[in-house]
Amino acid sequence: MTDKGFPKPLEVEVPEELRGWEEMYPPHYIFSKEREEWESRQFWYLDKIHAPDPMYPWDLIFHEAWQIALAQYNTRVFCIPPAQGVAQRLVGCYFYICAVEPPSEGTIAKKAELFQKRAFHAFEHYDDLYEKWEKKFRDLGESVREIGIPDLPTFEPDERVIPVPRGYYSSYDLMEAYDRVINAIYKAWQYHFEYLNLSYLAYLTFADTVRKLFPGISESTIGKMVAGAYVVMFRPEEELARLARLAISLGPKVVEILKSNMKPEEKLEELSKFHEGREWIHSFEEVRDPWFYVSCGSGWFHYEGSWINTLEVPFEYLRSYIDRIERGEKVERDLEAIDEQRAKLVEEYRNLIKSDEDRQAFDEAYGICRKIYTYAENHLFWVEHWFHTIIFEKMREFGRLFVRYGMLDKVDDIFLFNRFEIPMIIEDLVTAWALGENVPTRAAYWKQKAEKRKKLLEAAKNWTPPPALGTVPEEIAEPFTVMLWGITSEKVAEWIKGVTARPEDVSEIKGFAASAGVIEGKARVIRFLDEITAVQEGEILVCPTTNPSWAPVFTKIKAAVTDIGGLTSHAAIVCREYGLPAVTGTGISTQVIKTGDIIRVDGDKGIVTIVERSNQE
Amino acid sequence: MSNKNRYIKWFEELDKDSIPKVGGKAANLGEMINAGFPIPPGFAITIDAFEEFLESARRFGKKAKIVEIISKIDPKNTQELEDTSAFVREIIEATPVPEEIVEEIRRAYQELCRKIGIEDVAVAVRSSATAEDVPDASFAGQQDTYLWISRFEGVMKHVVKCWSSLYSPRAIAYRATKGFSHWDVSIGVAVQKMVNSRSSGVMFTLNPTHGDESQIVIEASWGLGEAIVSGSVTPDRFVVDKVTMEIVERTVSTKLYWTVYDPDKGSVIHGEVPEELREEPSLTDQEIIRLAEIGKKIEKHYGTPQDIEWAIDDDLPFPENVFITQSRPETVWSKKKKEPVIGKKSGYDLIMNRALTRYKVPKS
Repeated sequence: MTDKGFPKPLEVEVPEELRGWEEMYPPHYIFSKEREEWESRQFWYLDKIHAPDPMYPWDLIFHEAWQIALAQYNTRVFCIPPAQGVAQRLVGCYFYICAVEPPSEGTIAKKAELFQKRAFHAFEHYDDLYEKWEKKFRDLGESVREIGIPDLPTFEPDERVIPVPRGYYSSYDLMEAYDRVINAIYKAWQYHFEYLNLSYLAYLTFADTVRKLFPGISESTIGKMVAGAYVVMFRPEEELARLARLAISLGPKVVEILKSNMKPEEKLEELSKFHEGREWIHSFEEVRDPWFYVSCGSGWFHYEGSWINTLEVPFEYLRSYIDRIERGEKVERDLEAIDEQRAKLVEEYRNLIKSDEDRQAFDEAYGICRKIYTYAENHLFWVEHWFHTIIFEKMREFGRLFVRYGMLDKVDDIFLFNRFEIPMIIEDLVTAWALGENVPTRAAYWKQKAEKRKKLLEAAKNWTPPPALGTVPEEIAEPFTVMLWGITSEKVAEWIKGVTARPEDVSEIKGFAASAGVIEGKARVIRFLDEITAVQEGEILVCPTTNPSWAPVFTKIKAAVTDIGGLTSHAAIVCREYGLPAVTGTGISTQVIKTGDIIRVDGDKGIVTIVERSNQE
Repeated sequence: MSNKNRYIKWFEELDKDSIPKVGGKAANLGEMINAGFPIPPGFAITIDAFEEFLESARRFGKKAKIVEIISKIDPKNTQELEDTSAFVREIIEATPVPEEIVEEIRRAYQELCRKIGIEDVAVAVRSSATAEDVPDASFAGQQDTYLWISRFEGVMKHVVKCWSSLYSPRAIAYRATKGFSHWDVSIGVAVQKMVNSRSSGVMFTLNPTHGDESQIVIEASWGLGEAIVSGSVTPDRFVVDKVTMEIVERTVSTKLYWTVYDPDKGSVIHGEVPEELREEPSLTDQEIIRLAEIGKKIEKHYGTPQDIEWAIDDDLPFPENVFITQSRPETVWSKKKKEPVIGKKSGYDLIMNRALTRYKVPKS
């Protein structure tokens, strides 16, 4: 296979302007001579799902954290017998992953014993365990919020010295604060996988069972059977809908302000001037935390922003919700109807099963899946959205400190340094502070580095990395790899095609058949949320991924195509609810499709076809 | 539709208990129409009519002659069987039909034309055997079906042909070997509007590829059903999820040939599909879903998966244009023993199996 298409990891050549990219990242993320034999034997593929863009050095931390945590649950904790971890590398700032080959047969047998004991126990007691999980996770998030980032005072205040000296001071506080943030991230990601591997396993088990009984069943139908209505991830939207209704019930003055063209801060200012307005603000403040701690993107990258720091986003939705309510439309998801429909769907399939034994097996597999799959749906809000938002906010506090002391030019430049480098900047700063007056730092060095890295990341954007590297494996056992990345023979074939084909030569793209239906129409390619107002009624949305911030656009479009996301991604769920065809997880749609192209979205088969290229380039 | 009729019954007046009155095929059509399935309209000619006709033959001394000839026959002698059958059928077809019977059939046919709004409407005339002496389904197929018959004279002529089909070589031989009487048998006739098929095909209420009963598979092509049955055309194929009623698969093939009725010639002709239609789906989504709904209903009614023939009538608007022309139990998958697919496994067994699974990546 390697001969046919995929280069060996060390064979990849990056363009001239990308030279030196390696120094941005930890050394173990770089393919290396001394690991060459092992590295060439594995199959590495570009993870467009989690990292579609060149990787900012600091943002890599969440990946560093999941590499450890995911693997550890598979190999050392719940011990999914033939599964090992998912390893990561970077090439030219792009993120590659690999499901590590299975362990020896002896290890598999040993793991099977442990798996049976440990995993079954977790399935058995899941309800109770989840409650404990959510509590400890939210406590962890709160503890990060409480981490104070000290300023560096000219003199430590009296009370830290008299009557008893505190013993450690602002230099230490600042270093410790950063370490605490980092530790919390690692801990959060260990928590993140606590039940995730098991919930994916339960989903795959149920999907296998259903497919044995109904060989022709579509992926999207299985998805519909499992998807829950009461999903935490939808809460932000639901809260917005509630705020929209509240505004209308409070009278025309509130509505008028919210619908005006003022900035969000000005709207809040205006509202605070009268009773009904204050009442609305009160409700707004109540739901803001945690429900506005939702990323405008996937939650993985600092540049995506969250509702709390890009208030224009929720306020824009609020405006469209108010409009729609005034037109008599229903903006809330009808949870009961969704639940009822799901129950009916499952019941009707169940009735088609002929033997009692099979029906029993179906019930058992479904029961376990329904119980634990909520974890897959709910953890997403708490970890990737709520917690990451807190983290990015905290990091920006450090960023502001750096700017204040001239270490960096811009707050967000902090994300140009990897997580191991930040302590160096902190140490440089506190050293100079401790040494006394007029002691220089190496700020110029850091600033220069930041500038160079901006250029490297920009250069990486213009480079198309190979979709895969190394050797195609004979088998894959790792549940995430199957579930999230959907590694199938077709997918691999697609990639091989991608090695040789240029984007303009591709006319058919495969992904997940996420929501049924076939429709043809004009494509609108949206790379970032702030471009979303460009979407016209009746167009087909083509985007990297969606999340609740994108919700209002679904009433305008007639189909959706995403680069990233499986059958239970936000786009898949919302499209199924609205009855729009959707193909998700195509990997390359936003590169291959151009706005104005006529495309056909086949949500039954998971195929997007470019019917006609638009002339405008 | 009057109850005074003795020799004809409208399909609406029949149900599965009408077999002794009109034979199996007509009774089934009545059963279907009363269960709400859209079948082309028509009426049955009762067994009474046939018996009355046979009785009248006695008056001409013909019945005695038939008895004499048939009772002497050696069913193993094929040639003799052929000759005798031809001779007997000739006698029967030359026998005048009693006037009351002719009149009732005439009135019924005229009523049918009036209801449909087409003068001399083309019909199918099919024999409808009583079930007692025809145990195997294939036997029924040996009896006669005449398509695209128009005008009353034509109808009448083919009704008599259906009657005489009781004395086809195969029918005689069958009764002779089984020791059944040649006189206790009887036959009804069904007269039914021909569908002016824009498209037609078959529908299985399970997926014949793997027996998945949660799916309905529809095969469709332009024109009359012959093209699909004879295999001269690869049909379009649509798969509908029986539960969600979504079209989950659609394969539109290139359809080069079709069979259509030519009213000028009064017969069907085989020809090439016009270029602009070849690549087009031969059913609209609306029609696919409508068919699937009907299929689901028929299956539920009979309690077993069905193999259904259907047609879309060009003379009528949607949804009245969707017709079922035949339904029989699906035999391949339904006959298979219903062994459990998964068997006695707990949820944990299933989880364990899955946890041990390695996903093979096929070599390309």
